[in-house]
Amino acid sequence: MNAPRAALAVLGKEIRAEFRSYELLISTFVFVLIVVFVFSFAFEPTSEESRRIGPGLLWIALLFAGSLMLQPSFSRERVNDTLGGLRLAPIAPFSILAGKILSNFLFLILVEAALLPIFGVLYNLPLAPVAAPLALIMVTGTLGIATIGTVFSAIASHARMRELLLPLLLLPALTPVLIASTEVTAGLLADPYEIRTTWLVMVGAFDIIFLTATWLFGEYLLEE
Amino acid sequence: MTGKTDGGAFMQAVRSFAVCALVCGAAYAAFFIAPTEKTMGDIQRIFYFHVASFMNAFVAFTIAFIANIFYLMRRSPKADWLGVSGVEVAVAFTSAGLLMGPLWAKPIWGHYWTWDPRLTSTFILWVLGLCYMLLRSLIEDPERRAVVSAVFSIFVFLDVPLVYLANRLPRGQHPKPVILGDTNSGLAPEMGRVLLYCFIALFVLMIALLRERYSLEQLRHEVAEIRAETESGYSASN
Amino acid sequence: MKNFNFLFEAYMGAWAIFFVYHFTVARRLTRLREEVERLKQTIGKSGRS
Repeated sequence: MNAPRAALAVLGKEIRAEFRSYELLISTFVFVLIVVFVFSFAFEPTSEESRRIGPGLLWIALLFAGSLMLQPSFSRERVNDTLGGLRLAPIAPFSILAGKILSNFLFLILVEAALLPIFGVLYNLPLAPVAAPLALIMVTGTLGIATIGTVFSAIASHARMRELLLPLLLLPALTPVLIASTEVTAGLLADPYEIRTTWLVMVGAFDIIFLTATWLFGEYLLEE
Repeated sequence: MTGKTDGGAFMQAVRSFAVCALVCGAAYAAFFIAPTEKTMGDIQRIFYFHVASFMNAFVAFTIAFIANIFYLMRRSPKADWLGVSGVEVAVAFTSAGLLMGPLWAKPIWGHYWTWDPRLTSTFILWVLGLCYMLLRSLIEDPERRAVVSAVFSIFVFLDVPLVYLANRLPRGQHPKPVILGDTNSGLAPEMGRVLLYCFIALFVLMIALLRERYSLEQLRHEVAEIRAETESGYSASN
Repeated sequence: MKNFNFLFEAYMGAWAIFFVYHFTVARRLTRLREEVERLKQTIGKSGRS
């Protein structure tokens, strides 16, 4: 089975597993919503402040949600050693990682798609006029979170205290994505809106660099 | 126990003394030989050890990075020992640098911390170095620990320049962060020389600490092997 | 020297960090060497018996 098809097969398996119970998607969505609400309770932002802190808040909430949601990616596989089963299949190890990165990416995107309209309403932010570039930055930024998140989930799955370890490793490592995505989003919400291409390019570069690193070194994480 | 004492306790003491003398000499140079800086005065003398610490931290991280890649390719345990030693020593030097920075900033600007690109990315690097040490302590099997932490350190090494870049570009509507000043612009030659002395002295210290930490890891490996031998010896004789 | 306190504290702090690190490693090293000696003696004894 060639690599892309194998990755898609793994993706299919992940999606089917999740869509049996939707537990991950629902709990992630609720968690992000809670974070967004809690922030507004703490800060009570005015309209002007919302425009300023809104983007940062959005990406922080996604980062927190991601670091919880990415956990089961590999810890689920330990229960009945299904990871061992995957490794026995005649597919490249990178395909397993790629499939998981894609599925985590997809789940995060679904959560974001549900979240953004609510977020826009709660914080009174004009998201509709900038929907297309906003979608672009959401996709690029989320890919960065999914890539590093999946790899670090694989790393943490070898260690004790993995539930605490994953957010601990993830949050410092993802600061470039946090900063750059926030900047782009803030630019889109400014008046008049601007597309801050330098930052967008940085997120794209982040994605490319780490997808390449995963391709080169990720397979070692799947060893037993 | 051959080779471990490396020529005996006396040679060890001589080496330690030499390293200490070198470092003290560098500090003396920083305090008394270097010229006084025009605008900042004597507090600027922190610069010499502060910058030299970070430079050596960077060297140590690079050594660790190369060792870890080598480990992944060849699976030589020695490479793993060098990797962990490099990261630990680098974290120590980064800590020293991060301690000196705020003590320099406080009298000059009145506050201990600024969100300038170098300080922020150095802080993240420090945190990720601690994460590396934490990760290692949470994995028991030596081979798996080596592999997993090697991959992690590679990702960290690739991440840090990005963290630096992200902090360096000017941000949207936020006020510009207070920059610590481009300390290397127009460095007087005497200052450059003192900086070089300090770098060399701390480099020697760094290598000494690296070797010490490496031999600790090597000894741990030996103990594990002896233990395994002992256990199999008992079970064979029983 | 102006601001000497900060300057002094900074250098002392840096040295403290290096020394503390060195001592923690050295102490672990000594303990391990004792352990190796102990283990080798244990092997020696069981070898003889």
